[in-house]
Amino acid sequence: MSMSERVGSAPKGRLKKLEAQMEETQRTIDELRARDALKTQFLSNVSHDLRTPLAAIITHAEILRDGMLGELNQKQRDSVAGIVNGGQQLIDMIDEILTYVRSASDQVILARSDFNITELVDQVRALNQALAAKKHLTIERLNGDDLPPVYADRDKVKHVLGNLIGNAIKFTSDGGRIWIGFSRRGREREEVVVEVGDTGRGIARDHYELVFREFAQVDASPSRPHHGTGLGLAIARNLVELHSGTIWVESELGKGSRFFFTLPLNPPRD
Amino acid sequence: MPARILIVEDSPLVTDAFRVLFTAVGYEVDSAATVAEAIEQATSAPVDMMLLDLSLPDGNGLEVLKVLRKRGSLPRSTLAMTGHNDLASRRSCLEAGCADVLLKPVPVAELLRQIEHHLA
Repeated sequence: MSMSERVGSAPKGRLKKLEAQMEETQRTIDELRARDALKTQFLSNVSHDLRTPLAAIITHAEILRDGMLGELNQKQRDSVAGIVNGGQQLIDMIDEILTYVRSASDQVILARSDFNITELVDQVRALNQALAAKKHLTIERLNGDDLPPVYADRDKVKHVLGNLIGNAIKFTSDGGRIWIGFSRRGREREEVVVEVGDTGRGIARDHYELVFREFAQVDASPSRPHHGTGLGLAIARNLVELHSGTIWVESELGKGSRFFFTLPLNPPRD
Repeated sequence: MPARILIVEDSPLVTDAFRVLFTAVGYEVDSAATVAEAIEQATSAPVDMMLLDLSLPDGNGLEVLKVLRKRGSLPRSTLAMTGHNDLASRRSCLEAGCADVLLKPVPVAELLRQIEHHLA
């Protein structure tokens, strides 16, 4: 073997090896993608199938609770009301999983329209008022009366606001404050930045990314004080990104959190 | 004569729960688990209120309304029931002739109120 052949063959061999490695990696990626899709489908089917018998259980329990098959005494009524409430909580969690699966799939179609974001915020505030009052929390809207309409899918933005405000209520202790504020950004101020802030327990910098990841919870132990599917913020992120917006958090442990997301104010110009 | 309610729903568990409810308040109750069965039930005797599940094993629940309209045997009123309440499916239900769209599980008090309201 001549010198030049030896020099030439060494890189060629390495190239072949690299190519084989790349092929192998691609195969692994494809397989993981296929498994992930399968898992998502499974999640969707199971959630859907859990919902139906659960709906039947709740209906039966409500029939009993409301005395339609004869009056119950107070203790019986309280007990049956417990079945209804527990069942309703389960349904809400299942619905969150279904919403997540849908928001993560590529087939989501946005039904965009012009609407008043401050009105929507006030509506979501009103929906959460009872829950907040239980913990003596205030939810206020700081500004926004002069904002032009946003161009987005109203139901989906409502969901994002509901998740952020719901989290704020969950993670803020008694007597705290929750607020919603607006600002504008972009070269032509074409985006609105919505802020949902609270005086709650806050998030460490290391966890800023983690909280938006599906199924991730900062405290994932079975004994954690706050339960849930761990999907609320992952759903919010998916729904905001479907609008080509961004979502992020600024926070400090023990000093509250401020979540921000952006929405387009006007339809994109052609 | 008591009003006749037709439950169109493919889950026997849900149908049973509704049957207990409606019988308790004095309605006459029939049920169907498929599009074909629903059409048969609704053409055999007049229906006052049809509770219509949208996803049935042999097709979309709204098919029932389409066929019944052609045959001139539409129920007096129809309430659609769905697992997810998005605007698009709501619109198609109302366009197909449903009086309203209810999100499952419908709280029983709300369901009875809706039925009474639409039968009045």
